[in-house]
Amino acid sequence: MEANTQPTQAQTGKQDSGLKYVASFALMILLTAVAFAAVAMNIVPQGWVIPLILVLAAVQVFLQLFTFMHLDLKKDAVTVSFMVTGLFIGVVCAVAVAILV
Amino acid sequence: MSAQVDRTDASAGLPAHPERATMEGRNKVLGFWLLLGAETVMFACFFGTYLALRGSSMDGPTTQELYQIPMVALSTVILLTSSLTSVIGVHGMHQNNYKKMMFWFGVTVLLGLSFLGLEIYEFVEYVHEGHTFTGSAFGSAFYTLLGTHGAHVLFGVTWITTLMIQARKRGLNLDMAPKFYLASLYWHFVDVVWVFIFTVVYLMGKVS
Repeated sequence: MEANTQPTQAQTGKQDSGLKYVASFALMILLTAVAFAAVAMNIVPQGWVIPLILVLAAVQVFLQLFTFMHLDLKKDAVTVSFMVTGLFIGVVCAVAVAILV
Repeated sequence: MSAQVDRTDASAGLPAHPERATMEGRNKVLGFWLLLGAETVMFACFFGTYLALRGSSMDGPTTQELYQIPMVALSTVILLTSSLTSVIGVHGMHQNNYKKMMFWFGVTVLLGLSFLGLEIYEFVEYVHEGHTFTGSAFGSAFYTLLGTHGAHVLFGVTWITTLMIQARKRGLNLDMAPKFYLASLYWHFVDVVWVFIFTVVYLMGKVS
């Protein structure tokens, strides 16, 4: 197990500038603004508003998971599998409940 | 250049990723992601229930009449910003900067509290307009979903506050680092749920 230990590399900490968080935050605010604008103003054709805002939300969630929550597809295969399983079961349950009730 | 890290190293400065430097820390992070996977399923079921029941408002107000877009936008900006401040707090921890970490987690707590204040105000308004938990199926589904999320925000605020009190006594070390890291993961998750709440509940409620 010790082979998995992160070595005490101070340089990896220094490379990690805070800028990517601010950039990712700016992108999240932009996506949110687009979603609100799509609903509040008549700029998107009627039938497209809901699919559009759902896609914007999904993009934002992936931004959170992979930048703010530091998920890494290669390094954290197990944690990613927990979330993917959770999302899969969750979506199946949500869609089933919404349709069947 | 041994990969082994023990607690006596803490005084000489934390490693680059202190939350994963010990076996205990790594296990905590792994276990916490399992919890978040399970929470995802729970919230998804509440969303499904809400979508199924949102039209059943009896004689009470409908989604179109209730929701106020400006207030939702304000709540969203507050919670998104608090997600950024908590990641800056973790960034401060990675730089072994105790003051930076404490300051930004403190800002996160304040933003979380203002979000809660807005939500309480909103619920009081809704109850005055006749939208109550027991008033309709829509009311029950709405308050269950929003209330569970609000309870998570309250728990997150309490958790981070108590961690900050503990860190003032113990300082930043390999024992405290995973705790702050998990609290920030939890906070981001709460924000992720809110992204779906403002999309599915508020914005979709205004469209249909």
